[in-house]
Amino acid sequence: MAANVRDWAIKFSEASDNDPTIGAMARYFTCTYLWDMGPVKVIIEMVDGKVYRVNIDPGGLDAYDFALRASPQSWREFAQPIPKPMFHGIWSASFRKDLKIEGNTLVLMQNLRNFTVQFELLRKVGVPV
Amino acid sequence: MAKHSPVTGRFVTIDVDGCEYKVFYLQNGQGTPLVCQHTAGCHNHQWRDLLEDPDITQNYNVIAYDLPRHGKSDPPHNKEWWKEEYKLTAEHFMKFIVKFCDALELENPVFMGSSFGGNVALQLALHHPERFRAVIPVEAAEYAPGFYLDLWRFPHANSAQVCASGTWDLMAPQSPEKDRWLTWHYYTQGSEAFKGDLYFYSVDHDLRNDLGQIDTGRCPVIMMTGTYDYLTPPEATKATASKIPGGIYIEMEDIGHFPMSENYPLFKVYLKEALHIIEGRTDD
Repeated sequence: MAANVRDWAIKFSEASDNDPTIGAMARYFTCTYLWDMGPVKVIIEMVDGKVYRVNIDPGGLDAYDFALRASPQSWREFAQPIPKPMFHGIWSASFRKDLKIEGNTLVLMQNLRNFTVQFELLRKVGVPV
Repeated sequence: MAKHSPVTGRFVTIDVDGCEYKVFYLQNGQGTPLVCQHTAGCHNHQWRDLLEDPDITQNYNVIAYDLPRHGKSDPPHNKEWWKEEYKLTAEHFMKFIVKFCDALELENPVFMGSSFGGNVALQLALHHPERFRAVIPVEAAEYAPGFYLDLWRFPHANSAQVCASGTWDLMAPQSPEKDRWLTWHYYTQGSEAFKGDLYFYSVDHDLRNDLGQIDTGRCPVIMMTGTYDYLTPPEATKATASKIPGGIYIEMEDIGHFPMSENYPLFKVYLKEALHIIEGRTDD
């Protein structure tokens, strides 16, 4: 599992760092967030539009600004090339499915454009669950 | 030679509840007037492809206006509008639409609107059936709570991006990227009005006890919703249509909450079906 998550972290970081849509407006894309996929949790630290660090084994005291939590099944649906209705975004899944958005959501809103693009990269790189 | 569009834009000044509105609208076509309302926090470019579609404009006079405070339609020129919070009500919204149609001397127009435009279409069918040949509420429901949120104009975030990216996944992932980003672009331009529009959409609009009074013999109601709409999901529209005597529901596969703007070629398939039904139910 750990190797799988490590490989995923590398793939995700490369996809994000090379994404032209993020790159077009990346300068102030700085925040830290948790993706809780059930058995796998990662904390992604963004600095100036680049993935600065992916913590693939977060401890209980590791800090983040906001978190997205959902079942592994939902994360697998998010990562389909064309997700089914209601699994096609963080708003749809939080309104109609089991996605919970927690923490300092102001930081999410401040970075919403790029975070949304980044979330959809899962359709290309998959999820480690 | 200049590549001019057949679409023309004009301003018309109307009075609604003492508000002097200089309203901008786009127009193209001939025949039955088809009046189009954009979604909350947006403007009439959402109807750009419909306005230029000769399949439709050969028989329909397509008119898409900017609601006041949106696009090129200013807030009221005779009011100190900046001194009070904007909250759109059903009453004012309906009065505006009727006054606009009167000003353009439109006879028996079809009214079509999406999202909050769809919800006001239901209101028009209930309160002004004599004024409209039919209504097409798109992505509408009897009641749509949950979107009147402070975050749309929170001063600590870029509201333009919050509104545009906050509505991003109201669109289907299959819709062309170019059209989704154009819709995103329009949404960056209406953030100051978005929350006030949603006062109507999520708070003031509530027809849960009134749908049975809609007379579809006088004003047919053809409702259409996309399968990727999380805000007004298909089951909400279907349930609404089923409570309207004679109400019709058409489900639109693989499209979202902004169908005319995010994927017009697909939307057109369903729109033609709706117009065909209306043509069969009305005399002229």
